[in-house]
Amino acid sequence: MSEIFNLLLLQNTLRTATPVVLCALGCLMTDQVGIMNIGVDGMMLMGAFFAVLGSYLFGSWLMGLVFAIVLGILLGLFYYAFSIKFKSDEFIIGVALNILAGGLTVFLLRTLFGVKGSFSGPGIVPLPTITIPWIQDIPILGPILSGNTLLVYVSWLLVLLCWLFLYKTPLGFHLRASGEAPEALRASGKSPERMKRLASVLCGILASVSGAHLSLGYLTMFSENMSASRGYVAVACVIFGGGNPPRVFMAALLFGFIDALGMRMQKYIPSDITSMAPYVVTVVMMVAVVLMRRRKQTATL
Amino acid sequence: MNTGFLQSVRTLVALKPKQKLTAQYLLSLVIAVALAFLVGAGIMLLCGYDPIACYTALFKGALGKPRAFGNTLAKAVTLCLTGLAMSLAAKAGIFNVGGEGQLYLGGLAAAVVGAGMNGAPAWLIVLCSLLAAMAAGGAYAWLPGVLKVKLKVNEVVTTILLNSAAIYFCSYMANGPLKTSERGIASGTASIAASAWFPPLIRLSNLTSGVFYAAVITLLVWYVMTRSTLGFEMKITGTNERFARYGGIRADRLAIWGMVLSGMICGVVGLIEVFGLHHRFLTTISSEFYFDGMLVAMIMRYQPVGVILMSFFFAILNIGSSAMELSAGISSEVMLIVQSVIIFFMAAEGGISDMLRQNAAARKVRRAARKAEKGAAA
Repeated sequence: MSEIFNLLLLQNTLRTATPVVLCALGCLMTDQVGIMNIGVDGMMLMGAFFAVLGSYLFGSWLMGLVFAIVLGILLGLFYYAFSIKFKSDEFIIGVALNILAGGLTVFLLRTLFGVKGSFSGPGIVPLPTITIPWIQDIPILGPILSGNTLLVYVSWLLVLLCWLFLYKTPLGFHLRASGEAPEALRASGKSPERMKRLASVLCGILASVSGAHLSLGYLTMFSENMSASRGYVAVACVIFGGGNPPRVFMAALLFGFIDALGMRMQKYIPSDITSMAPYVVTVVMMVAVVLMRRRKQTATL
Repeated sequence: MNTGFLQSVRTLVALKPKQKLTAQYLLSLVIAVALAFLVGAGIMLLCGYDPIACYTALFKGALGKPRAFGNTLAKAVTLCLTGLAMSLAAKAGIFNVGGEGQLYLGGLAAAVVGAGMNGAPAWLIVLCSLLAAMAAGGAYAWLPGVLKVKLKVNEVVTTILLNSAAIYFCSYMANGPLKTSERGIASGTASIAASAWFPPLIRLSNLTSGVFYAAVITLLVWYVMTRSTLGFEMKITGTNERFARYGGIRADRLAIWGMVLSGMICGVVGLIEVFGLHHRFLTTISSEFYFDGMLVAMIMRYQPVGVILMSFFFAILNIGSSAMELSAGISSEVMLIVQSVIIFFMAAEGGISDMLRQNAAARKVRRAARKAEKGAAA
């Protein structure tokens, strides 16, 4: 048992949860303006590819991150143009975006790097790991809190920032209003479309950066379809979280925990079963949340 | 329901043009396909390939030889069935994105039952496997359907997650408890008796007698959607849910039925793959077939006839793209990009044509104003 349940498990939980956390925060932004963006999975996949591309071309992780962010902005604008401006079905656009991501990344992988399946190599510079001088000496928490890659810390900070942004700033208030009461927002002289564009771009950046963490932080490679439905898990996390960034964060952590636990159980349980677990647990959690809410409602009645 | 009610419903249905494939929509489709091919040509040029040579190789590769044509037809059958599965659910007001998982489970169930009945007459094997595949696919679709209807759990997310779960589950079964003892099979179940295999209709091609089962299903779906009470209820619910509720149609029940039928069709697609091609369940039974079919359905606005026709076109792109890769050298994924461009344009069709119309109207107004000004000056 101690082989499975130890400190490393918690560390792995944080690492595997981070892409989902970042992506879920992105989803949360569009969720708040009333769009369910299931295209985040494709955005994550493209972000992962372009981060590797930037890192490889310039030999710098920073350029990898810049590539991912620029791509995220473009994808956000693209998503906005199609789903809001052209009034398309957001679900179709999301699915099409995911198909485009699958095709485009494989196409570029084979055309630019001439490889099939995955691309790794010494040319890719990974994101730096950060050790925090004082904290790393704390007996138990030290190894967990220190020595993670950059985006792990950024994701924690972003949970707080997103909460502050959405609930404590006028802009965040307008953003939420554009989803809940667009007419009221328009009446007060603000454009709901502009808020939706902002949310869409923020979502694109966060989803794309979550991909960068996947390919430059969690692993140092790009492989075909490496997002592995994590974007959809992120959408599920937003549904549990109900608009609350810390709660979304907890949901993503739970997913990361199951994922990390599964990887360490592979010695004892077939790997297919452990890979299945996070998806099944996510569905069970979605049901549990609804049942709990319902119970609470009947209790208050 | 009295006739007066039906009459008013018919007028209501007729009022909703978005559900139909209008001439304007079909024109847009032609333009979208042309634009998407241009985008594809641009990518080919950028990568240093000759677009004309590539596209020639594509169409030749899909239609040139009897064998290639058979493969294209087989692909079209898969796309058509999965597309109809999607349409059926969508028309019932629920999105089934989980067809891939239902297909895997249906294929596994068919393979297990088929292999377990060794020695039985062929028709009995096929019949029992068919029932097993439909039960497995239907049950796996029923679950998210019920969750959606009873608990309002978003079906898009659950079905997608259940896809991954089903694929891993089938992989576990094919590598573990149900693994065949035959040598040379990496991860698959035991083989089905050869008498029950669906024979190929064109030599060496993927086109098997499974196509007849597919034709029967297609006819049934078309009948259900356009001629039956269930289809009529679907139409009304899709047009105006509140009105349908007042008319005594239970949208809940309809959504669950749509989902289950959709899952059953996906299960049969799995069966056709198993009985026609692999003769056992393999973990590589499908590579996102359902998603391709889903897109065809979306582009054709869930209209059965449109789905059937569009399946052929997408099958040509799909089968042709690998031939294109072999002879012209360009990576076949370029056609995935072309396909997604078609989808983007068609999804945005309404919005873009509205915008163009508004611009044209604005221009007309401006021109008229200018004319009036000139007239006043003179």
